[in-house]
Amino acid sequence: MKARSQAALLAAPAMAILAGVAVLPVLAAIWLSLHRSILVFHEERFIGIANFRFLFSDGRFWSALGTTAYFTAVAVAAELLIGLPVAMLLQRGGGFFRAAILLPWAIPTAVSARMWAWLFNADYGLLHRLLPGVDWLGSPRTALHAAILVDVWKTTPFVALILLAGLSAIPGDVVKAARVDGARPARIFFSITLPLLRPAILLALLFRSLDAFRVFDAIYVLTEGGPANATETLSIYAYKTLLRSGDFGYGSALSVATFACVLGIGLVFLRFLGRER
Amino acid sequence: MKRHLLVLVACLACARQGREAQPPGPVTIVLEHQPLWGDPAAFHASLERFQQENPGVVVRTQTLPNASDVAREMFLTALEGGADDFDVFAIDVVWAPEFARAGWLADLTSAFPPERLRAQYLASTIEAVTLDGKIYAVPWFLDVGLLYYRTDLVPRAPKTYAELQSFARAAMARNPGLAGYLWQGRQYEGLNCNVFEAIWGHDGDLLRDGRIALDTDAARAGLGFLREAIASGLSPRSVVASAEEETRRAFQDGRAVFLRNWPYVWAEVQKPGSPVRGKVGFAPLPSETGAPGPGTLGGWQLAVNAHSPPWRRRAAEKLVAFLTSGEAAVELALRYSRIPARRAVYDDPRVREGAPFIAALLPVALAARPRPVTPYYALASDSIQGELSGAVAGLRSPADALSRAQRIVDHLESR
Repeated sequence: MKARSQAALLAAPAMAILAGVAVLPVLAAIWLSLHRSILVFHEERFIGIANFRFLFSDGRFWSALGTTAYFTAVAVAAELLIGLPVAMLLQRGGGFFRAAILLPWAIPTAVSARMWAWLFNADYGLLHRLLPGVDWLGSPRTALHAAILVDVWKTTPFVALILLAGLSAIPGDVVKAARVDGARPARIFFSITLPLLRPAILLALLFRSLDAFRVFDAIYVLTEGGPANATETLSIYAYKTLLRSGDFGYGSALSVATFACVLGIGLVFLRFLGRER
Repeated sequence: MKRHLLVLVACLACARQGREAQPPGPVTIVLEHQPLWGDPAAFHASLERFQQENPGVVVRTQTLPNASDVAREMFLTALEGGADDFDVFAIDVVWAPEFARAGWLADLTSAFPPERLRAQYLASTIEAVTLDGKIYAVPWFLDVGLLYYRTDLVPRAPKTYAELQSFARAAMARNPGLAGYLWQGRQYEGLNCNVFEAIWGHDGDLLRDGRIALDTDAARAGLGFLREAIASGLSPRSVVASAEEETRRAFQDGRAVFLRNWPYVWAEVQKPGSPVRGKVGFAPLPSETGAPGPGTLGGWQLAVNAHSPPWRRRAAEKLVAFLTSGEAAVELALRYSRIPARRAVYDDPRVREGAPFIAALLPVALAARPRPVTPYYALASDSIQGELSGAVAGLRSPADALSRAQRIVDHLESR
């Protein structure tokens, strides 16, 4: 009993800091989202859930939510599909390759997004030279895919590294035993590697989905949410409402909605991960 | 413990007192402004002069972030929090009505009577800093949209949209691969500027009884012209994703006949090594009727923080008067290529001699117009951008986009 209370005492400072920097701001945002709060007009009054009622009828919100979900699903799927073969190749490669492949991940997103913006440029861009006729950032349909491409380029190395860690944890004996039993490589991959890799895959999915759902910097630098709001994600919509328009009440409501989505995704994945144990 | 508490209380008391009574010694005022580009020595020397002329006043400067929307965020949070650690600050032309309405800008009407300002400054620059007949900031220097053209490809600057089109078509027919008309169609504030110019060029007005009006015939014609420019190939599709720099580079590489942009482009295209050096002219934007088309007014104004205490207010007003004087404007033009808001500076022999480009900008500056001068503009601007972008990208018709934008604006203004 005494040990337990001592443990609680020792953990208390950490818990207090966590509460201060994580829980309190979330609660403050929720509180603010129940207000009409527009800085310049000195409006600040409690309006209950009116912001959320408006949110449900706000076409721009739903389109941002759809864009965000699509971005997350496609980007994370592509990162996983490319990351897995890369991880298997890296398992054979040495430290140099492992370090080299991290390069895109190491470049600050704003910098790499600017670089890609020039690659996509319809007059000078290299990609435009290679694939003339594709209007990367100018057309609402391709602009989002251009952003997905940038995200995949940047974060596939991260996914590959997580999977590489998972691969290294698979005991070599199991694979050897399967080989002795005459299993073909494809069979080994699907029956041994993949099932044993599940926890690492789920972990990568969790990290990446949460991150992708809150995507801001890459898209903001590439298109600022344009053309015609086609690449506007929830974070960008919330940012513009909060800081460009100065509508703190509705902007907070948007942030709270984003938070709820991310929390939901996180809980689902954690449940899967928990089942693994 | 008790002693600590006493010290704390004493400190708090001192801090409170500091807010209420003038502390002894010289008055220190703080000026916040964006970097002026170029060697800051000349600007600092002029601030030095101000301090010599006003003994007992010390000026400290703080540099703002270069990106206008980042600076705006900073002011939004600082001023809402009642910050009084700066006294004079530079504001973007579109913030004036909004900040004034919020009560963040000191009323400068008595120190700078509107009649006097109207006599000295270009009309549009005073319109932009006036709300309900009161002056809330003084124009420092301006920026304005204008048309650049290739003197080797077209006979003269086009006066009408029809001329712009036919000149461009003729040049494009002779030079395959050449783009006709470049402008900024990316979804951002610059898109609003471009569309507003097209609306003004079609004799439109963006304010009706003090409210933003987008659902008008002129607006449909203006936005329709820009959309049609892309659809017909007069403008390349790349303008849909372009901001200033993308279009400036394409034009400077000799890949376009016409470019709508801001005055900074002039120095760039005339640099040694620029492929179009000596082949570029500039003029006011075209219009439907042939009268000089209005360019969007940009630029910076100096305002006084409403929260700064009375004994700093006087010195702050003096500093604003000093920095916006005719002499200061001449120096800004010569040293920093900043475009004067004062009418007389364009005729100053030193400017004519030392900065002929600026002196020649007078017709463009005279035609400038501010974006809708209403506290609601900043709130609405972002939603307007999204809708205009939809029309420019061809997602929906200009009429449809404008009526959607109008609905959003009405919703915001009805609050």
